[in-house]
Amino acid sequence: MSEVTRSVTELINEFAKMPGVGKKSAERLAYYVLRLNRTEALVLADAIRNVKENVRYCRNCYNLAEQEECEICRDPNRNREVICVVEQPRDLMALEQAGTYHGLYHVLLGRIAPLEGMGPEQLTIDTLVNRVRSGTVREIVMATNPTVEGDGTSLYISNVLSDCAVRVTRLARGITTGSMLEFANKEVLADALSGRQAF
Amino acid sequence: MSSEKASALVLRTIDFSETSLVVWLFTREFGKISALAKGARRLKNPFESALDVLTLCRIVFLHKSSEALDLVTEAKLLRRFRPTRQNLAGLYAGYYVAELLGDLTDENDPHPELFDLADETLAALAAGEVVPRRLARFELIALRFLGHAPALDQCAECGMKIDLTGRIAFGGIHGGALCRGCRQGKSSVVSVSAGVLRTMAQLADLETQAWRRIEIDAQILGELRKQEAKNNREILPQRLG
Repeated sequence: MSEVTRSVTELINEFAKMPGVGKKSAERLAYYVLRLNRTEALVLADAIRNVKENVRYCRNCYNLAEQEECEICRDPNRNREVICVVEQPRDLMALEQAGTYHGLYHVLLGRIAPLEGMGPEQLTIDTLVNRVRSGTVREIVMATNPTVEGDGTSLYISNVLSDCAVRVTRLARGITTGSMLEFANKEVLADALSGRQAF
Repeated sequence: MSSEKASALVLRTIDFSETSLVVWLFTREFGKISALAKGARRLKNPFESALDVLTLCRIVFLHKSSEALDLVTEAKLLRRFRPTRQNLAGLYAGYYVAELLGDLTDENDPHPELFDLADETLAALAAGEVVPRRLARFELIALRFLGHAPALDQCAECGMKIDLTGRIAFGGIHGGALCRGCRQGKSSVVSVSAGVLRTMAQLADLETQAWRRIEIDAQILGELRKQEAKNNREILPQRLG
């Protein structure tokens, strides 16, 4: 089978490496880029280059940043007594979109998963402990995913912080707002009952 | 390609795409299988968070006759593995059970009795049972079900009854305890105390519940863990080829 041109084939192959993009979608994206005018196409290319050249991890919280510290760490209006611990920067973005949390964050860059060879030393737990010990932190909100490994990671961190004068809390879990009790599974109902709150 | 139903323990999950997972399951009816769970990472998915590590679930899946991954189409959560609060040892013991099941068994080779043992062990660990005793029992009985049980009171080579006093020669790859005569010239043989072999025999007992009352002292426990770890190290390379 003959190639379209070498450059177009290369572009299709690069798009096809992206998550969730198959050969057909890659071709569609490549033809979209071909149809863009030169300025628009180069804006896209520059955006990719800038991300790779300028984005790094924040030295405090490991969020994505373009300077030594991320925007959240530099924001003087943030509550510095509370740190919310998440697995990945995208979890942080999801919490930020909720718009109700005004404290700082700490990104672990993974979770403890011994079956995948991921131990605590490969995460940013040491930095978190140093932040807690050296700062004015009063509360750590564990917002790791509600899975066995996410819960295990939270449990490990709460054990590590047990000798620090800090309150460790976990995100609430239970019935989704707007759903029906009769369709909730027993584990969700058990979570909701054990985590019930006073009015 | 047939649609099958099975009870399954989730051994491991790996993100396959933005929305799908590859899961390794130890099923009661079909042994270990690896399958694709399409859409399992979406907030609304047909699996109700049943495909989490160490979860017990009831699945429906399409069994591929070729080397391709099976396809999980439904999963109903029966029990999550939730160790009691602050029980990190119980959680890690659960991971260890999953790792052993993954390493010691073959795909499509069912062992219903081993599945039941693993299910019982995980339930006990989640309930906060003493970890070393429960884990040692799981390892010994799992080895028995899989045909690797070590000989504990007779020589693995000649069958001679062994006097359980003092220290006794033991070689995992040679099948267990060895008499003085059979020990000669063999490599990978260690000396273990008679107390360790007695404890192993009690823990592997399927007839009575006496193992529940065993108090294992720290020295015996240390030696037992060392011996079982060595045993697994010797058996696994043979299995993994």
